[in-house]
Amino acid sequence: MMNRLCLISFGLLLTATTGMASAAEPAAGEQFVSIRISESEYRNTIADVFGADIPIKGQFEPGVRTDGLLAVGQHAKSFSPVSIEYYDNMARGIAAQIVQPAYRRTLFSCEPRRVERSDKRCASQIVSSVGRFLFRRPLDKEELTTRVELADRMADQEHNFYSGISAVIAGMLIAPEFLNRMVRVEPDPAKHSALRVDSYSRASMLSFYLWNSAPDHALLAAAEKGELQTSEGLQRQVSRMIASPRVERGVRAFFSDMLGFDEFNLLSKDPKIFPEFTVDVLQQAQEQTLRTIVNHVARQRRDYRDLFTTRETFLTRSLAAIYGVPILDTGDGGQPDRWVPYTFPSNDPHVGVLSQVSFVGLHSPAGRSSPTIRGKAFREHLLCQKVPPPPGNVDFKAVEDTTNPIRKTARERLAAHANNPVCAGCHKITDPIGLAFENFSASGTYRTTEHGATIDTAGEYKGVKFTGPVDLAQLIRNDPTVTNCVARRSFAYVAGRTPSEEDSAWKNIESKFKSDGYDVLALMQEIAASPLLLAPPVMNTGELAVKR
Amino acid sequence: MKVMMQKLIGILAIWIAAALSAPAQAESRGYIIDWFATATNAADYKINCPEDRNGGVMSWLRRDMIAAGYTPPEADKILTTVVGDMDLPQDIATRIFTRAKVNGRSVNVRSYPEAVPDPQIETVKGKYAHGFDLGGAHRANKFIDPDTKQPVDNQLWRAVGCTATFRADPPKKSYYEGNIWDNNLYEELVPHWALQISGADLSKDGKVTVVLSRTTRELLRDAAGQFLKNASYVIDPSPDSHSVLQGEIKNGILTIQPADIRLRGFIYGEIALRNAHMRMWFEDDKVVGYWGGYMPWLPFAYAYCVEPGSASDCTGIYHAVKNLADASPDPATGRNTEISSTFRIEAVPAYLLDTDGHELARPAILH
Repeated sequence: MMNRLCLISFGLLLTATTGMASAAEPAAGEQFVSIRISESEYRNTIADVFGADIPIKGQFEPGVRTDGLLAVGQHAKSFSPVSIEYYDNMARGIAAQIVQPAYRRTLFSCEPRRVERSDKRCASQIVSSVGRFLFRRPLDKEELTTRVELADRMADQEHNFYSGISAVIAGMLIAPEFLNRMVRVEPDPAKHSALRVDSYSRASMLSFYLWNSAPDHALLAAAEKGELQTSEGLQRQVSRMIASPRVERGVRAFFSDMLGFDEFNLLSKDPKIFPEFTVDVLQQAQEQTLRTIVNHVARQRRDYRDLFTTRETFLTRSLAAIYGVPILDTGDGGQPDRWVPYTFPSNDPHVGVLSQVSFVGLHSPAGRSSPTIRGKAFREHLLCQKVPPPPGNVDFKAVEDTTNPIRKTARERLAAHANNPVCAGCHKITDPIGLAFENFSASGTYRTTEHGATIDTAGEYKGVKFTGPVDLAQLIRNDPTVTNCVARRSFAYVAGRTPSEEDSAWKNIESKFKSDGYDVLALMQEIAASPLLLAPPVMNTGELAVKR
Repeated sequence: MKVMMQKLIGILAIWIAAALSAPAQAESRGYIIDWFATATNAADYKINCPEDRNGGVMSWLRRDMIAAGYTPPEADKILTTVVGDMDLPQDIATRIFTRAKVNGRSVNVRSYPEAVPDPQIETVKGKYAHGFDLGGAHRANKFIDPDTKQPVDNQLWRAVGCTATFRADPPKKSYYEGNIWDNNLYEELVPHWALQISGADLSKDGKVTVVLSRTTRELLRDAAGQFLKNASYVIDPSPDSHSVLQGEIKNGILTIQPADIRLRGFIYGEIALRNAHMRMWFEDDKVVGYWGGYMPWLPFAYAYCVEPGSASDCTGIYHAVKNLADASPDPATGRNTEISSTFRIEAVPAYLLDTDGHELARPAILH
């Protein structure tokens, strides 16, 4: 038993370090940047390569939001010892599953001559095939040889061919080549002394951007043939990927990041004050908005700006109770809640994604609404602006005291707070927007009074007056900052850097976004095929670099 | 001409009658029954049960052990080693619970409570119980309703009111009823009951229509463990759980013209009340009240034999309910098949829709 454990551990360490060694020593003339893949990219890759029913039991470290996006933060994120342990546990669990008879028959292209012994031919076939998808490029000769030898040794030791396969696959799942998306740079054969991003890196870039997952066989094949180095070949693949239903995953992942939905992991509401905010609502609120967005931008290809004024969405019974509307769910008792398309009536105040629980509920504390937090979230997530944090010595008591008999509404409580000249500067840019949404409680329910006092939602947005959330939604819709922000975020999401406003290539992309009627998929297509994206990344001195 | 006039008058009469009997439906409020239990008056226990001899789990277990042939000292010794019948060693449990004999064969008393002698538990002697005057002939059997001060037929309460199981006043329910309502397994799987109240203006006195029906889906709970308000429910179109009742609101109290109601359900199999009466009122956005009528006693009594003994005194309740049944004698045996009963209900606001998605009623606050 000890020998077996030692052998397995050694095997895993060997494959992992082999992977690391090969990553540390690429071929002469190459440099690379490694970007850790996110939780959703990891999960989607496992589902696409091995099947959606492979359980992934484990934890992922939370991401770090940089320049408004977790995806940008991934560029700078390294691996903590704890995260390595998490990935190792997941890798072993996944590998142990896929070698079970029910899975290996469909996943593996060969069977060993005898299960209780090694089989170099079959091991080579399996490792080569699986490795191509996990590493998102073919394994080189050394990578393949090392792993097949390990698989053979373990198979003979354990008297089980699949023990060797399991160990090798587990090792690949914790290799840097899997856990990181590599952006490799090679000399450009067409331009002397110039560099270009290599084909497999392009394939990964496109796939994680558009599909939130690893490249499929067609994309890898295109990379192998060099097609991604030509404009026509690149456009062909990008168009194929945009037309695929899998682009919805890319849209969901992007907007989930841009709208800060990772904060749902920390969200809770006081059940005494907001009993309607159930666990179902917590889980369904972000899904509601993502379904709304996917339907709007990916299926119907409508104007992005209309997300702020649309009345069309999708609801479950739990969410409908929050919004105070009826929905028809003809499912049977005990079945999961169904998602039902719903259009708010024309006189209903629920207009656009900002009236949904994923905004008004997510950006509120546990026991009250917060116009300041909502205003800040709006500026940071949707206008790409930075709002400074409050000073460390701020006294929030006046704002937090919802039992104050004189200052019954948030507006009144904030007025007292914002009269402080230290605070007024930031509150001027956050509170007017946030106060417009005060008709929506911290759970998302609609109200017209707070502690018996009428709620005043009037304000001013960029010099234009509004009376409430419906007016404001129209002003937001027409604000060019909103479309500028989503375009910049979309680029930064895949590139890891914000484009320069002065860059002519970027100006072309922005201009095309406008002329395409603010079609988000068209924007993603432009970005994916843009020389701006595929330009070699700037190397920092701290990056792993190799002799030229 | 005369014939035509007569026809016109007849049509006019029918129209007037219809208009008078069915109130204008300007407002229709939807609710889901979120609390349903036997109406109790446990606060008056000492007056209701002066002998206080029914005891709890250990008392009726001891009684049943003696009935099974154990001597009192033997029973007492065994009882020092257990906290309820679920802890009994298998051989002892078998002897106790299969002591009944049917056609010479040993059978479980929970399935055949009729086959063991009536343990003659103490029944309620007190004066007060919630309910309605159902027209029961025996004045001596009537209680007085503590709220309305009117005479009440509620032999069900008389039968069960001295048992430990029913020593529970709202918000508590009897053990069995609480288990059914609050057991997540049931509420997450089964349809529930809907209540629709319609009238010209439900904030004022006037005629109303009350519709009872079943939902197609389970109830949703909120984060505080109560039932979620303002949720949407589709009404089961099946006519076998659909009652349309005429009533009125007077001085804020809603009552109905007596009628028969039936609701298939997950509690007692179904609620079937003959000559049903209702008294309900609005409390904030909820409805609270009482439903009473004659119901078949056998399904009710058997329900208390389904639960293991720690929940209820199966044989005691069965025989007490049977003995106090006060209506609808069986022509063959002469024994009454129904018992006067009262249940307490609460209902939370809800959207009610038909299977085509048409809104039948909406929550009160959102009107």
